[in-house]
Amino acid sequence: MTSRSSTVKLKPTVWDGVIAAAVIAIAVIVAVVFYGNKTYSGELRVVVSVGNRVVDTLPLSDEEATHTYCHNGYTLLVSMDGSGVRVEQSDCPSQDCVHTGTITRAGQSIVCLPAQIVVHLEGASEDAPDVIVG
Amino acid sequence: MLLSLTACAEKSASTNLFAMDTYMSLTAYGSNAQTALTDASRRINELERMLSRTVAQSDVSKLNESRRAAVSDETATLLGDALQYAAKTDGAFDVTIAPIVNAWGITSDTPRVPDSDEIAALLTHVGSSHVHLDGNAVTLDEGCAIDLGGIAKGYASDCVASIFADYGITSGCVSLGGNVYVCGNKPDGDKWLVAIQDPQGDDYAAMVALSDAFAVTSGGYQRYFTAEDGTVYQHIIDPKTGYPVQSDLLSVTVIADNGTMADAYSTALYVMGERGAIDFWRANADRFDVVMITTDGRLLYTPNLQDQITEPEGTTYDFQVIDR
Amino acid sequence: MKSSTKKLALCAVLTALALGLSTVENLFPITLLIPLPGVKLGLANIVTVFALYELGALPALAILVARCLLGSLFAGNASALIFSMLGGLAAMQVMIGLKQLRGLSVFGVSIGGAAAHNIGQIVAAMFTLGNTMVLGYLPFLLAVSLLTGTLTGFVAALLFRSMKHIKLSH
Repeated sequence: MTSRSSTVKLKPTVWDGVIAAAVIAIAVIVAVVFYGNKTYSGELRVVVSVGNRVVDTLPLSDEEATHTYCHNGYTLLVSMDGSGVRVEQSDCPSQDCVHTGTITRAGQSIVCLPAQIVVHLEGASEDAPDVIVG
Repeated sequence: MLLSLTACAEKSASTNLFAMDTYMSLTAYGSNAQTALTDASRRINELERMLSRTVAQSDVSKLNESRRAAVSDETATLLGDALQYAAKTDGAFDVTIAPIVNAWGITSDTPRVPDSDEIAALLTHVGSSHVHLDGNAVTLDEGCAIDLGGIAKGYASDCVASIFADYGITSGCVSLGGNVYVCGNKPDGDKWLVAIQDPQGDDYAAMVALSDAFAVTSGGYQRYFTAEDGTVYQHIIDPKTGYPVQSDLLSVTVIADNGTMADAYSTALYVMGERGAIDFWRANADRFDVVMITTDGRLLYTPNLQDQITEPEGTTYDFQVIDR
Repeated sequence: MKSSTKKLALCAVLTALALGLSTVENLFPITLLIPLPGVKLGLANIVTVFALYELGALPALAILVARCLLGSLFAGNASALIFSMLGGLAAMQVMIGLKQLRGLSVFGVSIGGAAAHNIGQIVAAMFTLGNTMVLGYLPFLLAVSLLTGTLTGFVAALLFRSMKHIKLSH
């Protein structure tokens, strides 16, 4: 190696700005794609997946409700009311799901990796069934 | 605006339990919701202990074992109802089919195809005439056995409905392994949207808006086994032939204000097939509504449901109203 | 022989340093701000950036893999391994590519690396959880990566500047 300083640019350049702009652009595109068409002002629906499988689809209405989900040896207490849904208690080591707090908008989710449980909010379309017979 | 503010107070509770060989989920709204659900779960477990064929000390087990038993008032009443439904459906629904169900081993882990002599012999023990009901004393003829599995869940949903009524629950949604009961309207005042499972896919075939109603679906797609020669036998047996039903229907959903009846009739109509089911409905049109899915891709429903039924987008079924 | 021994020792020291930085950043979990399990600030990327410029792609890769394996061993968390590994490898790949571009300074390279790191982690999360809902976190993570990338670039630039006259290898 000859001289390091000749090969390493140490001062920010215009091109660095281009990289930063590209990162911002990706962020915006993902945000638009993910949240853009999901800004429902209407009813929300709580979708709970446990170990890759959707186990519960619940309307998020004004009533308070709590649900318990167990997987991978961990138990999550999910509570919801008119404003949103949160993981109230969890015995998972990281507590990330509890730290997430309350989610309130369509597209948001709470992830508990140790328990492999995802609580997701989505806009309730008009024709979502409440119960299935058969 | 004001309305939405005042409607905020209601609480909801939900319970999930495994009982009667199936997964049950109950939701109720209102201040008594939690106690109502606790009572309802207790009641369901009590019914299972009383009516299950797999619980050794149940009324049904005692009866099948000794052919003569004094049963609880409730079992006697339910058995009486079952015999009535058998009479009304001309035996298309029959609780005395148990010996043949046993021979096929449909609900067991080891299903098999019995030979025709065996079935013919067992068929002689099938029929309401072999059940003698006198108050709480029940006697079964030699070789006869009963299985109330075909109406137990429907009856349980009736019991849940009356518990909800006792507690003043005016909104709730109950699914006892596919036996659905919806109490009142949704908390937002809309009717409950009950989706009918597509027998040929994961999605649903139609959606019906209901309030204060029971809905029960019967169909061969729910449970079946494949014999060694590759023939697929589904779980509903025709009491007339002793063989699994070869129906031109994929599923029948009966909607009524009585869960026990809806449960019995959904099985009976499936056994009857399209023609028989339509005739039966015409003769009893004031009692229930029905949605039938045929093997040739039609979805038939009764005229009362016209304003309540919706087709899912991109449905492959041909929706048709049944003439009165 | 002598120079390769020296290089090996240097790799070991850098691996230890990276592990140290990982441990330090575990004390200030970013998950409090962005509650996605396994997501890290990526302070250890400073080492990756440094190693990439100073020693080249292969040693930098070796340090990265060693750091991920040992890190998950220390943390006793196997599921964290896929996160740090996928994130780290994605960052490495992008930085090797960006380093070829003459116009970019160490800032641009490390911002690109940080962004790739987070994209890799989201991909890992999608694999682990089997659904795409976690994609919703990506915009926030990318915004954070802009900051951490700049920070990494800044620290690396300081490092190179103060080491102008010190030769570590060759």
